[in-house]
Amino acid sequence: MYVTRAVMEKIDRHYERGVKDLAAAVAKKALEGIDGVDYVLVASSLSYVQEPQLDLGAHIAYSLGLRGARAISVEAGEASGLAAVELAGALLKSKASRVLVIGVDKLTNFTSAETYAQLSLLYDEGVNMYSSGFGSVAGILMRLYMERYNVDRLTMAHWPALMHANAKHNPYAMLRFAIAPEKVLEAMPMADPITLMDSFPLGDGAAAILLESRPKEALAELAAVEAAVGHPNVAWSEDPLHIESLALAYGRLSEKHDLREVDVVELHDSFTITALMILESIGLAEKGKAAEAVASGRFSVNGDVAVNPSGGLKARGHPIGATGVYQVAEVALQLAGQFPGLKVEGARKGLAVSLNGFGSSSYVAYLRGVE
Amino acid sequence: MMRVKTPPVVWRSRNHRYKLVGSKCKACGEVRFPPVHFCSCGGEVEEVELPRAGRLVSYSIVYAADEESRERSPVIMGLIDLGVTRVVAEIVDASPEEVHSGMQVEAVFRRIGEDGETGVIAYGIKFRPAVG
Repeated sequence: MYVTRAVMEKIDRHYERGVKDLAAAVAKKALEGIDGVDYVLVASSLSYVQEPQLDLGAHIAYSLGLRGARAISVEAGEASGLAAVELAGALLKSKASRVLVIGVDKLTNFTSAETYAQLSLLYDEGVNMYSSGFGSVAGILMRLYMERYNVDRLTMAHWPALMHANAKHNPYAMLRFAIAPEKVLEAMPMADPITLMDSFPLGDGAAAILLESRPKEALAELAAVEAAVGHPNVAWSEDPLHIESLALAYGRLSEKHDLREVDVVELHDSFTITALMILESIGLAEKGKAAEAVASGRFSVNGDVAVNPSGGLKARGHPIGATGVYQVAEVALQLAGQFPGLKVEGARKGLAVSLNGFGSSSYVAYLRGVE
Repeated sequence: MMRVKTPPVVWRSRNHRYKLVGSKCKACGEVRFPPVHFCSCGGEVEEVELPRAGRLVSYSIVYAADEESRERSPVIMGLIDLGVTRVVAEIVDASPEEVHSGMQVEAVFRRIGEDGETGVIAYGIKFRPAVG
């Protein structure tokens, strides 16, 4: 199966536009000149709290003029986008030949304080019953990482700095300015040791990809998507810094495909610590060494493997249920040499990595370039 | 304000929240809090009261707490090792300066939230520095 179209909206505080408006903007472009689709999959998550519409997929499909189409709504928290891509892959292998995947989400219909409280719903009831704030678990994990591996706060701050440096060139990114690592430490404390600059900005967004089984031409091949569920509560992990569900999904993928020498990765850096945990859980860095590797430039666009050339969740933005669709769109465009921001020259293999929370579910998509 | 602690929710969770009751697998002995319906090994579970003393593994001092917790900000959240399992819970009766990884803590019964200003009050278990 192949990615034949990839369309994104700039992530921003789109006060003038609702969920259907954002979805329509990307879907219209993705369907230009296309004679119908077998399925429309709509990935969304926080919109169910901020702009509630049940049977969202059908409502959006109809609003696109696709009367009589088959539509499915997909909700898997922060992983909704990549969950929809996985489902699209299954449909393409069985009964569909063309599937439109739309990721759309809304985070700005409420105040930031209310939105952060709503985002706690991504986590387990055992944690969020304390109403302690969205960054609580990330803060616990970040301190555990720094104390266990003896890594200082400034070394950790190279991740957000790298994301901002990358996003500066991405026209669809929400935060298009560079920051020095020192600025991360000076920012408002969110959940100490985490500051506001360790996490993503609150923005709305929509992205769409068209997937086809036998197209005449394509941006990239979607070789496979794998997934697994894991501990919804970090207290239950044998090692809270290891994302078991992700290691499992990645392991299933690497059994069937040669994932060595991947050129570009778009991964789920909901917090600085999440990025480091992902890099270590899929073996791109040794345990305890990811922060240093980031600081040394290993994951920069001209490093060993380009990680988040888009700017990642941190600076491109993270419209919760839409993010996985952005990631696949970005990797496909990189493999086609058409990404409008920092380009990974000659990229042949790419990964998109998405998860909810700290791994209640994880998804990995593997994409290859086409001639 | 997002309503989540409504009367039916608070009422039906009283057992595990009030008494720190978790689940224990009859096959492999794995303990979980809050309780689960099946163990991750597939085994059946039974209810078990958890130990009330433990060690703080890591913590966070949360300044961006939810509105309903703002009056007790900063809220300290901890990962606590109870021996048989770990839990994430709030740490109370301690200033941010006093809290450190490795400290001994013990369970206390506290208010954990309410359903608006006039609604039902939810109680549950938090942890404080061990006094014994």
